[in-house]
Amino acid sequence: MPAIFKRLWQVNWAEQWQYRANLIMYILYWLVSPIIYLAVWTSIATANGNVSGLTANDFITYYMILLIVDQLTSNIIIHIFAYKVQDGTLSGELIKPIHPMLTSTLVNDIAFKTLNLIVLTPIWIVLVLLFKPQFDSVSISGILLSIPAILLGYMINYLLSGTITSLAFWTTRVYSIHEFYYALILLFAGQFVPLQLMPEVIQNIARFLPFQLFMYLPIQIIQGKLPTNAIVQGYITGILWFAVALMVFRLVWREGVKRYSAVGA
Amino acid sequence: MSPTIIVEQLSKTYKVPEREGGFGAAVRSFFKRRYKDVKAVQEVSFSIAQGEVVGFLGPNGAGKTTTLKMLSGLLHPTGGKANVLGFTPWELKTDYLRSMTLVMGQRNRLSWDIPAADSFLLAQAIYRIPDDEYRKTYKELDELLELAPLMKKPVRNLSLGERMKCEIAAGLLHRPKVLFLDEPTIGLDISGQARIREFLREYNRRTGATILLTSHYMADVTALCERIIIIHQGQLKYDGGIGNLSRRIAPFKLIGVMLAKSNGFDLSRYGEPVQNEEDAEKHYIRVKAGDVTKVTSRMLSDLPIHDITITDPPIEDVIERAFNE
Amino acid sequence: MYFFKLISTLFKVNVQMAVAYRADALVNILLNIMWLGWELLGLSIIFSNTDTLGGWGFGELIALLGVFRIVHTMMMTLVWPNTEKFNQSIRDGSMDYTILQPVSSMFLVTFSRINIWRTWDLVLSIVLIVIGVNLAGEVATPLSILNFILLTLSGAVVIYSLWIVMIAFTFYFTKFDNNVTILQALLDSGRYPVSVYPPWLQVIVTFIIPIAVATTIPVQGLRQELGTPQVLMFAVIAAVSFLVASLFWKAGLKRYSGASS
Repeated sequence: MPAIFKRLWQVNWAEQWQYRANLIMYILYWLVSPIIYLAVWTSIATANGNVSGLTANDFITYYMILLIVDQLTSNIIIHIFAYKVQDGTLSGELIKPIHPMLTSTLVNDIAFKTLNLIVLTPIWIVLVLLFKPQFDSVSISGILLSIPAILLGYMINYLLSGTITSLAFWTTRVYSIHEFYYALILLFAGQFVPLQLMPEVIQNIARFLPFQLFMYLPIQIIQGKLPTNAIVQGYITGILWFAVALMVFRLVWREGVKRYSAVGA
Repeated sequence: MSPTIIVEQLSKTYKVPEREGGFGAAVRSFFKRRYKDVKAVQEVSFSIAQGEVVGFLGPNGAGKTTTLKMLSGLLHPTGGKANVLGFTPWELKTDYLRSMTLVMGQRNRLSWDIPAADSFLLAQAIYRIPDDEYRKTYKELDELLELAPLMKKPVRNLSLGERMKCEIAAGLLHRPKVLFLDEPTIGLDISGQARIREFLREYNRRTGATILLTSHYMADVTALCERIIIIHQGQLKYDGGIGNLSRRIAPFKLIGVMLAKSNGFDLSRYGEPVQNEEDAEKHYIRVKAGDVTKVTSRMLSDLPIHDITITDPPIEDVIERAFNE
Repeated sequence: MYFFKLISTLFKVNVQMAVAYRADALVNILLNIMWLGWELLGLSIIFSNTDTLGGWGFGELIALLGVFRIVHTMMMTLVWPNTEKFNQSIRDGSMDYTILQPVSSMFLVTFSRINIWRTWDLVLSIVLIVIGVNLAGEVATPLSILNFILLTLSGAVVIYSLWIVMIAFTFYFTKFDNNVTILQALLDSGRYPVSVYPPWLQVIVTFIIPIAVATTIPVQGLRQELGTPQVLMFAVIAAVSFLVASLFWKAGLKRYSGASS
């Protein structure tokens, strides 16, 4: 099994390295939205002194960390995979003795992510110089403690995106469905605003949803802003959602493949 | 009356950046690119009278498409003059664009997502064709090409032959006086080719339009054109009647055989062996047309033959052979 | 008359295409409503934490959202679909046919695709602007309305011209599929007043990719912050950028046909 992953990695890495220019454009595209929210909240915090106790620096550090955490927990499955179902190239992959979504697509995604991080690093450093955040609250132990949360966030996001992408077996409109999912992430993961500034109702909903593991929870752990019981609660919610996502994914995938081979696309 | 198309000393040279391998060369070329001149068309001259149908022949890369693109106005020449219907094509004057058409067999004019009928309506608006004239032209095209059943389907659902019919019709709605056709029958099966050919002949007879066409298929040219122009490596090699040309090019046929045992037989005893990349299973030899019967019967009696075919050599070969020697 | 007929035919063709895929209409409308709800929720969250954003109140931000959605609609109905069509026509060579039509190729490239289902968003945008202006307690005078319309049109023309320049670059570098990514990315900045952003970003979205000219500035017109000379200046800027874009397009075409090399 590791041999397969190693081989896939080499292929993907070489392939994607050729598209550096596209990659830089993609990164720029993806950077803009967090920077807009950073600007909005910093301007409010500067004008009012603070926002519910959060200073301008708090927002800047929050979003600077978000840029990295979001990059780590997000994925591009829908772009790698959905069209394969529609144009029929998936048939070739289904007859291979490996799970297309959990091997080749996964490696493809991770290779893409690694390259992205390489391209992102210099840009991130420039942004740090521009915004001058004080990372006082960030501690090594916080970073270490956040790693499992980031991993868990990546896996849940991967499985949920994978489930949505698998809907391509039934409908050609997966991209629209994915847009809904994306809007949920913007709202409940803490990208639009750090969750503690949300109305009470939304905060309570967000606590039981998996999305906070994609950004908010890891960021807060890194900054040491969460009490232990909140971290524990976050992890428990995450593990439960991981189990649910895994089951749903397997079910949808199995039925989808069944349908795909029945239709004979 | 002066000719419809006059071409004088027309030339086109492409500048192609020269690439060397290696990182150093890449950096150097970033600052100072070195270009290589590729002479696609060199001082070609000819003229075509109104109503003529002329076949424009040459091997791949000979400069046929480049010449057609210059005559339709898409490309600026690097030298020489051209005059079509009194216009200089590359000035792209509206009146010129409205009186000619360019149909390229490998490019799509029609939008794939919508039925051809909609694209036709759009063409009517763009070319400012009055309704009654449009109806008349459409009726005529429909009569010749049997378009009606194809018009309502999205173009992506049409077969290649059906699509080509629609493509050609779409290019003719404005009743152009000059038609430039680049490989109009490419990819079609024999009957599809024949139908398009038949249509072009009839269209030319009815409207007196001037037609300049390129084709891969000798049959297109022999069926349609009395006169052919051959260019090779960008230079005009022949301009004249088709009869004269056949006399100039000794007519050959290709005999292809599939043998039960592939080695140990010397086919060069029967004719000149040739390579055929499209069909590697068979061995091909080139034989004078008059000798075909004699040679085949000899081969059939001498060799363990599974399968035998006799075909015309591709147009490229004929021309290559005629002008390289 | 001729152009009117041409546009109406293009519109008809696109309506038929849209009807053929009418299930998309519902999806488009749902997505539209969702994003609008999302944006309003966003604004209400922002204003539950502050009274002003970059010096602007809630009503003004609603009006800005309306203006932003007008620009957004222009992008969704015309610019993005035609970018896709344009890039494809460069790849598959059907650009050749576009050039040989007896009508301006820039016109054809702009209007050959029209995403009909997004146009209803314009109505929504105008409703938002009216509500926003009322909430802000602004008094709309005939002059301020005229200024606003002029500024919105100028802003749209500036962005359109920028788009033409961006896709005309493809004539020079044929392998340039990302020709509009920067515009796509920065468009979202138009939701908020430009005064919110740090100076370097302000420079980018005002002068380099001037999203702000089409969003913040028209609302400033409504707030009567701009005098007539300034409004006229933006109209002149728009006219000049359109002219520059047309020239750039022509130069690109020449390059494409090998006239300049």
